[in-house]
Amino acid sequence: MTLPAPSEFAGADLALALSGSWFGAGLTPEAVTRLAAIAEVRDLVPGDVVVAEGQVAETLGIVLSGRIALRMLVPERGTVTILTVEPGDVVGWSAVVAPYRGTDDAVAIEPVRLLTFSGERLRLLLRADPLLAASLYPRLLQSVGRRLAATRMQLLDLFAREEWVRSETKQW
Amino acid sequence: MATVAARPRLRVGIVKMASCDGCQLTLLDLEDELLAIAERFELVEFPEASSARSAGPYDVLLVEGAVSTPDQAADILELRRKAKLLVSVGACASYGGIQALRNWSDHDAIRAAVYAHPEYVESLNAATPVSEHVKVDAELHGCPISPDQLREVLVSVAVGRRPQIREEAVCLECKRRGTVCVMVAEGIPCLGPVTQSGCGALCPSFRRGCFGCFGPREQANATSLARTLAADGREDPDVARLFAGFTGWSGPFRAVVAAYGGPPGVIPYAVPESAEGGRDGRG
Amino acid sequence: MVIDERLPYAPYPAPAGTAVAAPPAPIASGGGVGPWFLARANLGVLIDLLREDGRTVIGPAVVDGAVTLAEVRSVDELPAGVGDEQVPGRYRLVQRGDRRVFDFAVGPTSPKRWTFPPVVPLNVGRRDGRAVSFEPSPIDPPRLAFLGVRACELAALGIQDRVFLGGPYTDEDYHARRRNALVVAVNCTTAASTCFCTSMGTGPEARGGYDLVLTELDEGFVIRAGSPDGADLVARMPVRGADAGQMLRAAESVGKVAAMMGDPVPTAGLHDRLLAQFDSQHWSRIAERCLSCANCTMVCPTCFCSSVTQRSDLDGDVSTSERVWDFCFTAGFAKVAGGSFRSRPRDRYRQWLTHKFATWVDQFGTFGCVGCGRCIAWCPVGIDIRAELLSIAPPLGARPEPVRPKPVAATPGFYATARIVSVRPETADVTTLTIGDVDPAFLAGEFGQFAMVAVPAFPPVPISISRFGRDTIDLTIRAAGPATAAIIGLGPRDEIGVRGPLGTSWPIERAMGHDVVIVTGGIGLAPLRPLLDGIIARRDRFETVRLFYGARTPADQLYREELRAWAARGDVEVELIVDRGTPDWTGPVGVVTHLFDQATWDGEHALAFVCGPERMMEATVETLESRGLPPDRIFVTLERHMECGIGLCGHCQTGGLFVCRDGPVFALSQLGGIFGREGM
Repeated sequence: MTLPAPSEFAGADLALALSGSWFGAGLTPEAVTRLAAIAEVRDLVPGDVVVAEGQVAETLGIVLSGRIALRMLVPERGTVTILTVEPGDVVGWSAVVAPYRGTDDAVAIEPVRLLTFSGERLRLLLRADPLLAASLYPRLLQSVGRRLAATRMQLLDLFAREEWVRSETKQW
Repeated sequence: MATVAARPRLRVGIVKMASCDGCQLTLLDLEDELLAIAERFELVEFPEASSARSAGPYDVLLVEGAVSTPDQAADILELRRKAKLLVSVGACASYGGIQALRNWSDHDAIRAAVYAHPEYVESLNAATPVSEHVKVDAELHGCPISPDQLREVLVSVAVGRRPQIREEAVCLECKRRGTVCVMVAEGIPCLGPVTQSGCGALCPSFRRGCFGCFGPREQANATSLARTLAADGREDPDVARLFAGFTGWSGPFRAVVAAYGGPPGVIPYAVPESAEGGRDGRG
Repeated sequence: MVIDERLPYAPYPAPAGTAVAAPPAPIASGGGVGPWFLARANLGVLIDLLREDGRTVIGPAVVDGAVTLAEVRSVDELPAGVGDEQVPGRYRLVQRGDRRVFDFAVGPTSPKRWTFPPVVPLNVGRRDGRAVSFEPSPIDPPRLAFLGVRACELAALGIQDRVFLGGPYTDEDYHARRRNALVVAVNCTTAASTCFCTSMGTGPEARGGYDLVLTELDEGFVIRAGSPDGADLVARMPVRGADAGQMLRAAESVGKVAAMMGDPVPTAGLHDRLLAQFDSQHWSRIAERCLSCANCTMVCPTCFCSSVTQRSDLDGDVSTSERVWDFCFTAGFAKVAGGSFRSRPRDRYRQWLTHKFATWVDQFGTFGCVGCGRCIAWCPVGIDIRAELLSIAPPLGARPEPVRPKPVAATPGFYATARIVSVRPETADVTTLTIGDVDPAFLAGEFGQFAMVAVPAFPPVPISISRFGRDTIDLTIRAAGPATAAIIGLGPRDEIGVRGPLGTSWPIERAMGHDVVIVTGGIGLAPLRPLLDGIIARRDRFETVRLFYGARTPADQLYREELRAWAARGDVEVELIVDRGTPDWTGPVGVVTHLFDQATWDGEHALAFVCGPERMMEATVETLESRGLPPDRIFVTLERHMECGIGLCGHCQTGGLFVCRDGPVFALSQLGGIFGREGM
């Protein structure tokens, strides 16, 4: 499938792309229209950084295609991928949640097509439009909650090998 | 798996802290299999059977006795460094043993009461289990330990599997052998329900209550048993005395002893200890 | 005796107030038609006759402060003039001074001790180089005669008959012991404060399941026969026909006992009332008192759980296995490699009480309690189940569907040997063994079934069959403990012991014509591999096929080449995800549900097969349900501590199900409130 270049997206295409994503499908039509008005399409190549940990998050993005890894740097262990963001999901939610700083590095690991919103413009818009905020924030919270649940599951390390020797030593 | 014959003999040591040697003598009770054991294990240190001494290292080190003197406290750290697998054997090594009774009393007062020249006696304030000093890989319980369980540990080390030692109350051994419950049928106080099995329910089979020498079992509800004994008309000191035996310094039993006023006959410290497990602690 | 196939008492629900029912029709014998009367002075003749017939008589005797059961050699050993007082947590003998020998309530011992002994040898395993063998222990029980068996105990024997002989598998040891035992019952003419057979509908009058039954009067005994063996005995005894006065007094004395007891445990709706209380705070309150010492289960005449222990020589070349009494109150009973499913005493008490009064009904059609009251008297802290049952509130709740056993050949203690053909390491701690020289029954096994695998000196372990070849099977095993480590340490041409195939299977037929969703994690792919094999072999019979597989790291994925091959087919969607990414992993990182919780497909026409750690399956099930799959089209496997593998040892019980026999594959709808509930 040949996609149009990012610059060729018109307003209607942007609205269509947004409402066709998992994230956008949960928004009201009015919200989609308002958001599409400030949306841009960006293509990323592997290695491009969307959000950097600790830095001001400039961009809220919705992955249209490709995959983005959320990574954290652990000294002496290198970079650890915590989670991957799949098409339909959102990246850079920190751009609309104080203190507007990235909680991890979001790095493209494949060619990615991203629908992006400037954090600054989006914040202004949300402040001015409570109805838009009432539509966007629950969806955002749903996405973040889903990640929290997933992280808990990963924390459980369910597939790890049981250390039977250690657990059995006290009283055989 | 590799055949056993190909393996080198494992170096086994037995050392003692403050104890009566009854546990290490249990090894000699395995008379039928001593030869087979000797084929697989080299007893590099066994004071009750041989004068040979070793400075380690040990594949398996059996430690008997409670840590009761400053020398023992230092020795156990050194021994741990030399042992791949350290097993505490018996009530003293695992729970402090009968000598831990002194832990409730003012140590200096006890020494002064017993010895003409207490200044010659070097001992610690408390007799404590080995596990309070170093990491213990396994505990064998009992006063003395069970020859069967000792054998099972040696077999499991030789074969390379987990020892099959059941985690259950003495009651299971009692009922399996068909002993009528001494507590229900005769009102004899018995720690069997809260004590780890392994003895074969020896005492109840002679119509004596279990005195808990194998120590509290997994999930021991000592509080409930104590409450029942007290409700049956026993005075607090009698309840405390029952739990303050060979394994009285273990957590669940110690809590009961404290809740029922401490073991009878203690010489309290000049400043009484705080309300740890006061009357409210009996649940 | 011939085991009475009829229920000795009313099946669930036990109608209240029907304690005294009509006795069975008299059986004619050489001495005419009963009932007969046996003078007190002649009771010894009965014992002598039984002994002359080569039977050891097990009857009441005073031992260590209680009337217990022991070998009785003469009538003088019976407890003449001895009675008892029983209250919760307390039992005392009472000397009455009369000559009556059966005037006491049941003591701590029941016939279970002889029909299901505390320790039974199972087999001797041997290893000789690469070869192993398992020699089952001979079953040669003594010829017994039980004397003085009460109505509640007859009911208990009936219940154990259902457990051990009711199928689909039977316990041969129990069968032989039961067959070799003659039963002389006694109707109760007294009751302890702890007795409640009237509530459970089991007594105080014996209503079948005996060869002879006596009712004691001051001057002697009214006797009826319940079997031809019993009638033959009567024919050899100095009896005469009982007169009307004797029969009336006998009936009255038993009726009086029933009235004494009343109905302390109303059983109407008890099953549902209890199952609705899984989350009651009451379990914690009981656990404050409960010692989890297992005395209640040991004195219970129906509790049947057991464990197998090994004792081996120092080389591990010869090991003997024994079956020993074990109970849901002990620490190791519900343990698997990762820990115990019932670590808390309140879970263990709940397990016991709900089994006795609810889930037993689902499994065996009767309550597991006969109202003998032993668990009340012999509880060291005097917990009274009658009071505990009454404390639990009665709203009705859901219950699991009836169990669906799947018969396959298996005998306890018996192991077929098989030979390892090849060994393939899958990951750092997972290995696939290909096993040849297997019994053809294995090759005919179904997808999802498992085998019990044994090497001498180690406890047998349940392993799912991860491939059915033409003349081999695959076992994919993770080194989770010493036994599994020992098995995967074996090499080609080494032998192992195997039993099975056991358990239920993935219902592949139901998936035909449907979309198939397979969700799995870690080693959970192993039992699903035969299902994938089966689907791929008849790919055109299924609609879309999706495999979602989560692993800890990319290196922890099983069958990596096969995963690639399946994906390359184009007609199986294979999606992989890992918990922890590595620098060279560009696939998804996260939990397995992320692979489909935002996908656009719906599950209206799909069946799902799920296998992995229970916590992962919970999340998966939730996501699948949100995609439109109802609980009867989601199939999961449960992992529990398994020992016997055929539903006879009790370890793997969860709710009303034995995971080994009724599972390990379950429809979610079968599990009801069990799935994902802590402490089950």
